[in-house]
Amino acid sequence: MLATKRSLPKYLLALGAAIAGLGGTAAAEEVQRWGVNFPPPVSTTAQEIYDIHMFTMGIATVLLVIIFAVVIYSLIVHRKSRGFKPDQQFHETWFGRWSWVFVPIMVLGVDLTIAGAAQRTLERVWVVPQDQPLVDVKVIGHQWYWEFVYLDHDVTIESRYTSPEEAGIHYLRDVDNRLVLPTNQRVRFLHTSSDVIHAFWVPELAVKKDAIPGYITETWVNIQQEGVFRGQCAELCGTWHARMPIVVEAVSQEEFDGWIEEQQEIRMAALAEAAEEREWDKDDLMARGQSLYNSRCAACHQEDGSGMPPAFPAIKGSPVATGPISEHIGIILNGVPGTAMAAWNSLNDLEIAALVTYQRNAWGNDTGDVVQPAEVKAER
Amino acid sequence: MTTATVAHDDHAHHGPPSGIKRWLFSTNHKDIGTMYLVFALIMLFLGGASAMVIRAELFMPGLQLVQPDLYNNLLTNHALIMIFGAVMPAAAGLANWMIPLMIGAPDMALPRMNNLSFWILPAAALMLILSFIVPFFPGGGSQINTGWTLYPPLSLQVGMSMDFLIFALHLLGISSVLASINIIVTIFNMRAPGLRMMQLPIFVWAWLVTAFLLVLVVPVLAAGITMLLFDRHFGTSFFIAAGGGDPVLFQHIFWFFGHPEVYILILPSLGVLASILPTFSRKPLFGHHSLIGAMIAIAALGMIVWAHHQYTVGMSLAAVQYFMLMTILISIPVGLIIFNYMMTMWRGAMTFETPMLFTVAIILMFSFGGLTGVMLAVVPADMQYHDSMFVVAHFHYVLLPGAVWGLFAGVFYWLPKWTGHMYDERLAKTFFWVHVVSFNITFFPQHFLGLAGMPRRIADYNIMFTEFNMISSVGAFFFGLSHLLFLYIIIKTVRGGEKAKARAWEHAEGLEWEVDSPPAHHTWTTPPKIKTA
Amino acid sequence: MAGRPNYPAELRRKNVRLALGVALIVVFMAITAIPFWKGLVALATGG
Repeated sequence: MLATKRSLPKYLLALGAAIAGLGGTAAAEEVQRWGVNFPPPVSTTAQEIYDIHMFTMGIATVLLVIIFAVVIYSLIVHRKSRGFKPDQQFHETWFGRWSWVFVPIMVLGVDLTIAGAAQRTLERVWVVPQDQPLVDVKVIGHQWYWEFVYLDHDVTIESRYTSPEEAGIHYLRDVDNRLVLPTNQRVRFLHTSSDVIHAFWVPELAVKKDAIPGYITETWVNIQQEGVFRGQCAELCGTWHARMPIVVEAVSQEEFDGWIEEQQEIRMAALAEAAEEREWDKDDLMARGQSLYNSRCAACHQEDGSGMPPAFPAIKGSPVATGPISEHIGIILNGVPGTAMAAWNSLNDLEIAALVTYQRNAWGNDTGDVVQPAEVKAER
Repeated sequence: MTTATVAHDDHAHHGPPSGIKRWLFSTNHKDIGTMYLVFALIMLFLGGASAMVIRAELFMPGLQLVQPDLYNNLLTNHALIMIFGAVMPAAAGLANWMIPLMIGAPDMALPRMNNLSFWILPAAALMLILSFIVPFFPGGGSQINTGWTLYPPLSLQVGMSMDFLIFALHLLGISSVLASINIIVTIFNMRAPGLRMMQLPIFVWAWLVTAFLLVLVVPVLAAGITMLLFDRHFGTSFFIAAGGGDPVLFQHIFWFFGHPEVYILILPSLGVLASILPTFSRKPLFGHHSLIGAMIAIAALGMIVWAHHQYTVGMSLAAVQYFMLMTILISIPVGLIIFNYMMTMWRGAMTFETPMLFTVAIILMFSFGGLTGVMLAVVPADMQYHDSMFVVAHFHYVLLPGAVWGLFAGVFYWLPKWTGHMYDERLAKTFFWVHVVSFNITFFPQHFLGLAGMPRRIADYNIMFTEFNMISSVGAFFFGLSHLLFLYIIIKTVRGGEKAKARAWEHAEGLEWEVDSPPAHHTWTTPPKIKTA
Repeated sequence: MAGRPNYPAELRRKNVRLALGVALIVVFMAITAIPFWKGLVALATGG
């Protein structure tokens, strides 16, 4: 059932191209590659949405053809140069007198057809079915990355844009950590945001919902097909709006369970490491700090610490990174209200210690400070 | 309605004062109309220039020309300049010029207020331009990266340029509210004796409806952006969730203004077509009364469908069902207007001068934009279309044919009346074809981009979107350049050309064609005699 | 300024009265915007 009707418009387009003499299959492949319609739907609701889209588009196309036909016929026939005598009484015939009644009735008929068909799909898409267990994923939009919390499994994934070198042809549609989801299982997304409004959009799943601070909005999918599906943030969220990709990896239930277990182990290991009561040496902190900085901070403050003033101040040579350590830690923990600088208190003490150490010693900030996790803990 | 004959100071009969005073202190509807139109033309080029940079950046994937913040700043300014700087003032210019001529009034009802409503505009435009350039100065804060919708919390993060923008919008709002009040009073009180409301040309009716829409919705925008200003500077939290506010409330307020705004842009232009079609079809307008009814219906429905711009904010099922049905129902009055215009052409004896060419193109392209609008109204399908390039394509197909081309058609149609010269028909037809063809090359591929998954308002995109973006950008450059030809045609017509008769077009009907081309500085000082139909 | 038509006093009064009437709508819409839309939004979103 799935994806049986999806190729129709592409087929027609390809057919047109073939008639134009571009060669059949080559043209079909070309059209497929260019993408002129929705990507193949992979969830139950996406298929319904695809069908209602094709239905409405079909009606719109028929109406458009009628309008074009009438206008073009008139343009050809009813012109002065052909000696056509204008019909001065046309607006006073029965047709002219009553068209204001029957035209709206006809349009109303079309409208109700569309609205009626959409109604059935809308109810299924809009209301999250509660009769079966759901996998709940909390989707949190940040400037500029996504955070996915698997509420039933205590697993959190942060998903960030990767550089053109790493992403290759998937540039801006590729992330470091994918959103892994099980197939043939209802998944509910609960969207919210920590700063400004973002929108979660994966075209193959046909979900799009705003992530709004203070709100929790919901959508649901039941993915029918394993694979990797790519989307991105759809609501203008500031400077790096284009760099908020979403990559869904749909896997079987067994694979999903294995992946969850793996993530839990990674998390426990990180926690254990951060809780160790030991002195960390500078080189270790610098190395950890650099990789954290480049993934978390560099989008705004740049890899060389120069920032993008005035929106994003430089860290290189800044009074914060060369001033008192406690203020520096405070800004990272609490953010700066009224700006894009978020509170990073979800990072553990070791991570923040590494970040602060790195920022205070990199790019000629040579303060020589080495900050230990215990100092961060004291600031919390 | 007044029966009074209007007296003048004796010296007024010698024509307008000379020099800068003529314009600065003008209370003459024709001079103010001209100023509106010239202002709109300047803004059209400013807004167009920003669109050119946007399309140049989108020509290829990667960030080549502008950084993302500048890109966002440009797209914000493109929208605001085009809507508030180009289309609305141009429509107000047509209203100033034509409404008194069409209803047989000597001038607008409140001539000094008319002067005020124009002269607020340059100040507002200055504020708007400052909001764009202030961030480039030291200490100027960050650039406006919100788009014209100014959604908080993003708009709360922006630096002082947002305050410039808020005040610019306030000034623009004051200007258009004052102009609307003037137009409403003029139409109600200043008609020639015996000219009944239902006899008024559709253009006048369209502007009456538009003026009421403006009066109803602009204050709501003003309230919304004032609340934004308070959130930014005075510690309130209307829109800040952390303070118990609601970010979505701003969207409701904004679109309560924003959706009727679309009809504010479109209705005057659709009204222009009702003047042009009978002239070049050589037969009377089809469905005069139903056009009036349709326009009122559009205005009424247009005010209760705003939330279809925010289907994705998580409204209840009942709410989206309501907004979906109401939005789809707008196709009834719009369809009726298109139908009446098609039937005006039907069984006529058409010739195709430039205003008529634009009119035919509008009927075809606007229908297309309207039908993608019906697709967008369908909530489940909107889950895909929303905030994608499909939306960008849709509203450019609505606003260019529906608003801008109607203004072009009106300019070409009435230019002989205003200047006393016929424009160069050959050049104008060249402009038409380059403009309309390159328009379609620019915006048609954007439908595909949106369906394939490209969001709007991104400065950089994945390589899968390259081809259509390239086509679109190439089209856009031709589209942009074509306006230089438009400018040249206008200058050429103002400076000279074949002398236009009072009735510049063979079959033109209406009071505006009873006065000379160009008309005397004061017209209809004695009201015309209205034939009782 | 020179060239402004000299409308009869009765017409002027009529014009100003109507203009003020329309201005009342403007003020009304601006004032109601804040509380009214807040309530309506609450209705629409069920919040």
